[in-house]
Amino acid sequence: MKMHDRKMRVSVLALAVEGALLAMCAATAQAEDDEVAALIMPTNYIELGASYTSDSSAKFGEYTGLNDSGLDLIGNFNVSGGDAYGDGNGTTRWTVKGTDLGLTSRSLDASMSNQGKWNLEIGYDELRHNLTDGYQTPYLGKMGGNNFVLPATFGVVGGDTNSLSLDQQEAFHTVEVGTSRKNMSFRAGYIFNPQWDVKLDFNHLDQSGAKLMAFGTDPISGGDDEKVLVLPNPTNYQTDTVNLALNWKGDKGHVTGAYFGSFFRDGYRSVMFQNFMINNGGQEMTTPPSNDLHQLNLTGGYAFSPQTKLAGGLSYGRNTQNDAFVDSALMNGGLGNLPRSSLDGLVVTTHADLKLTNQTTKDLTLAAGITYNERNNKTDSVLYDFFSISGSNRGVYSNTPLSNRKTLVELSGDYRLDKNQHIRLDYNHEDVKRWCDKYAGNASTGITNANPPLGGPYTIYGANGNCVVATGSKDDKLGITYKLKASDDVNLNAGYSYSDRRTDSDPNAIVAMISRDGGSIAGINGGDYIGFYPYFDATRRQQLVKAGVNWQANDKLSLSFGGRYTNDDYYDSTYGVQKGNSWSLNLDVTYSLNENGSVSAYTTKQHREREMTNVQSSTTTPWNTWTNTLKDNDFTVGLGAKQGGLMGGKLELSGDLTYSLGETDYGTVLHYSTATPCTDPTQLTCGDLPTIYNRMIELKISGSYQVDKSAKVILGLIHKQLRSNDYFYNGYQYGYTPSSVLHTNQQSGSYSINAVAASYQYWFR
Amino acid sequence: MRILQKTALISTLLGSLGLGSSFALAADTPAAGAMSTAKDIVLRGDAKCTRCHDESDEPRILTIGLTRHGVKGDSRTPTCTSCHGDSDSHVDKTGSGDRPAPDRVFNKTTPADSKNAPCLSCHEKSFARTHWAGSAHQVNDVACVSCHGIHNNGHDKVREKRTQAEVCFTCHKEQRADSHKISHHPIGEGKVVCSDCHNPHGSAGPKLLKKNTVTETCTLCHAEKRGPFLWEHQPVSEDCTNCHTPHGSNITPLLKSRPPFLCQECHDAPHQAGNPVGPAAAGKYPGSPFTGSPSSGRTGRACLNCHVQIHGGNSPAGGYRQR
Repeated sequence: MKMHDRKMRVSVLALAVEGALLAMCAATAQAEDDEVAALIMPTNYIELGASYTSDSSAKFGEYTGLNDSGLDLIGNFNVSGGDAYGDGNGTTRWTVKGTDLGLTSRSLDASMSNQGKWNLEIGYDELRHNLTDGYQTPYLGKMGGNNFVLPATFGVVGGDTNSLSLDQQEAFHTVEVGTSRKNMSFRAGYIFNPQWDVKLDFNHLDQSGAKLMAFGTDPISGGDDEKVLVLPNPTNYQTDTVNLALNWKGDKGHVTGAYFGSFFRDGYRSVMFQNFMINNGGQEMTTPPSNDLHQLNLTGGYAFSPQTKLAGGLSYGRNTQNDAFVDSALMNGGLGNLPRSSLDGLVVTTHADLKLTNQTTKDLTLAAGITYNERNNKTDSVLYDFFSISGSNRGVYSNTPLSNRKTLVELSGDYRLDKNQHIRLDYNHEDVKRWCDKYAGNASTGITNANPPLGGPYTIYGANGNCVVATGSKDDKLGITYKLKASDDVNLNAGYSYSDRRTDSDPNAIVAMISRDGGSIAGINGGDYIGFYPYFDATRRQQLVKAGVNWQANDKLSLSFGGRYTNDDYYDSTYGVQKGNSWSLNLDVTYSLNENGSVSAYTTKQHREREMTNVQSSTTTPWNTWTNTLKDNDFTVGLGAKQGGLMGGKLELSGDLTYSLGETDYGTVLHYSTATPCTDPTQLTCGDLPTIYNRMIELKISGSYQVDKSAKVILGLIHKQLRSNDYFYNGYQYGYTPSSVLHTNQQSGSYSINAVAASYQYWFR
Repeated sequence: MRILQKTALISTLLGSLGLGSSFALAADTPAAGAMSTAKDIVLRGDAKCTRCHDESDEPRILTIGLTRHGVKGDSRTPTCTSCHGDSDSHVDKTGSGDRPAPDRVFNKTTPADSKNAPCLSCHEKSFARTHWAGSAHQVNDVACVSCHGIHNNGHDKVREKRTQAEVCFTCHKEQRADSHKISHHPIGEGKVVCSDCHNPHGSAGPKLLKKNTVTETCTLCHAEKRGPFLWEHQPVSEDCTNCHTPHGSNITPLLKSRPPFLCQECHDAPHQAGNPVGPAAAGKYPGSPFTGSPSSGRTGRACLNCHVQIHGGNSPAGGYRQR
């Protein structure tokens, strides 16, 4: 009994203790539930604030919307919900998100899904691309419009654009030029069952504004004496893109059948502008024609076994363009009726690919693939009669619908030497063909475009020759890669590849726009001297070496170092690009300060070099060659640091510093003597050009302070400066332009700007 | 640590003090007892793991509940063991000594194929990953988790526009440097992302491009350059990268070289293009050594001062691509 009483007393004591502990536990349980909820329930936020930009600069605000000095609104929010969050069995989720609402880089998205059944998304994304705020023109007309006229009192410019009257100089005014892209998207998906689903993507891209473009006008006199002005060429474009895909998947395979359509519409057909040198006469420049692309795609994969897989696809596309030609009366001097009113252009694209991969043994992986791409331009070729803008070169030319076919065969094998070493061999063979299905010529003289009668009779160029000099090529490439896991903390890789492209050429090809005044014989080597080849289709030998190492020195410090070198040798080109090389080195270091903080640094050095040999075309001795060398050197350094957990976990700081220096140099050497030495200051046809120099420094610092459980204050600072020196702009400065070019006074966009931002972020659930 | 486990431990402690109660569990298997009563937090069956790996864990693994992998009502949703394996030896460890790791962990010593296996078991059979096997990333041992954060506070950096490039630049360092050049797509600004052009999971196009060719990919946005034009320009119709370098350039707009030199890489005859071009191409400027008359065909836009429809023209009078 005593015992019993004692036990009873102990039990009562135990229950009391347990009760107290459970009460404590209940309190902590609530806290834990809150902690858990914070991890599994979405946290919504609204952020409001303002930023201040110290100075105006289109280049500083090129894509950010911070192009004007002064205040801008900061507005961001993200609100999510749905019964799929938390510990329930719901499947519905929704999100509404807005970013940069106060800027021209704003975006707004909303999505809703019943996961496993359907999803819907709508989006709006805006981007203003600020191109320049220093462009000057005397022309009146809205930026983004297509009609530009001179002030009534402007008159005409005399023989030299550097000798304008005072009134004419005062007519120049500054116009900010840029483009705006507004993209509206809609996405939807529906899952019929585990095997079948359908997806729809639709985008409507609205582009407005303009990009600067040169406009040539009729000259005062004939010859190559075109008069040039620069105008905002409108980008009044609408592009609708749709992709509808039906997907099937089974135990071993899957297939997707899809329709892709892209429909481009240009709101303008041309730009009207006045000739500043001849009676303010009307001039016209066409804008890009509207076009459609319809494409059917079939893609799929099949696993014969977990070790052997086949993947491939087929694609068939029709790209059409049939915009009515712009009335040519203003442009070609009324040379007569056009042979047709529109192009009725058609390009058929065909694609097929197939790839087989096999890993029969875990140490050996083999792959074999073939890819076929064809662009077959089915457009008719017709003769057109026109004057060049110089007015002196009347010609009758046929359009040249270009077609090409590329077939790529890839073989590779990856062998695991042991658990730490891999070696991989790749072999690629690419075969390229180029041709024209149709090419109009003169029926009476055969295959030539030397002044055939407009409107025919003309022949269609066919099997008797070629319309491109480089009719095809074969490129064999062999590569080897070695990877070594030296330890758990050190990984190394090294690779080498060698490729040899041999180009078939037809120097007697009848090509588009054969030179009529270049001193070479029309129709020979595409109007270029024998031995000259465009670099992108010329015979070439290319070698590439690359290597890298990643080292996790300890729990805190990691480093990676890598580099690459390529060498191109266009060994069959007497003229044109002769050789080139490029290399780069990268070093990255990251150090973890503590659980909440780290610092990192990186640097990249890039070098690219190209040498070409050209031949003076105005002499009768084509071995009068000169060489031009391009050297591009770029250096980038980045430093970053972040630290959280300060002030009892309330303060987070981060900072990034980036330095980028780009230098591009051209140098020309003549290999022959001329009556006027190339160093003559009135000629300067040899020597080095001023370096194109761009140095950018950007410092970003941000900090966020947790005011309470549901609010943060965020402060940010950006200091960015650009020092740019580009000789491109010299020719557009008043007093320094070519005598036929109207100045714009644009500068290279250097700036030094500070921007600060402060915002309040409110969190709720 | 979850409340039920704490309760179990407290009860066990009381029991060992002779303060037995109805809450006491077997002293030698507290965890097993806790598991029998533990409740799933996020995923079906996750109590096996979350009774230890709870809200106090770093990294915060429960945030998987914020992702699509956290929707229990979707029958396809995995649970912890779907990816990490049953890991019984890890769970059942008693006594002293190190606890064995789960069956599958996603650290640097795990081969990429092993890390990818659980992901591909659900995600391989899809359009976007059709060409994964044999793709550049697959053969270079890039694992899904190399780029994707599965538990990562519900935010998968590589799937968010503002942070995607940061992930890609971890390996693609030349492109990181390119993105800081004076002429660049708005990559750093988060308005154009790598996946706008590339499919990192493999593609039939070159360089993991989304579409079958370079030109098809570029004209997704730049549709005005698609044509077909009356007057075509061969390098344009074949491959935009013949003249442009898309990740960034010192020469605006994203050019590999500057006219007239760019043009002279392919043309030597028309319009005296073969005439030598030297420092005179820089035009005149204060202090310039050049005292001659600048040429409109050499300075500024050079050839493009007149041949402006360089991507192709559609004017019957524009055979020289001047209109």
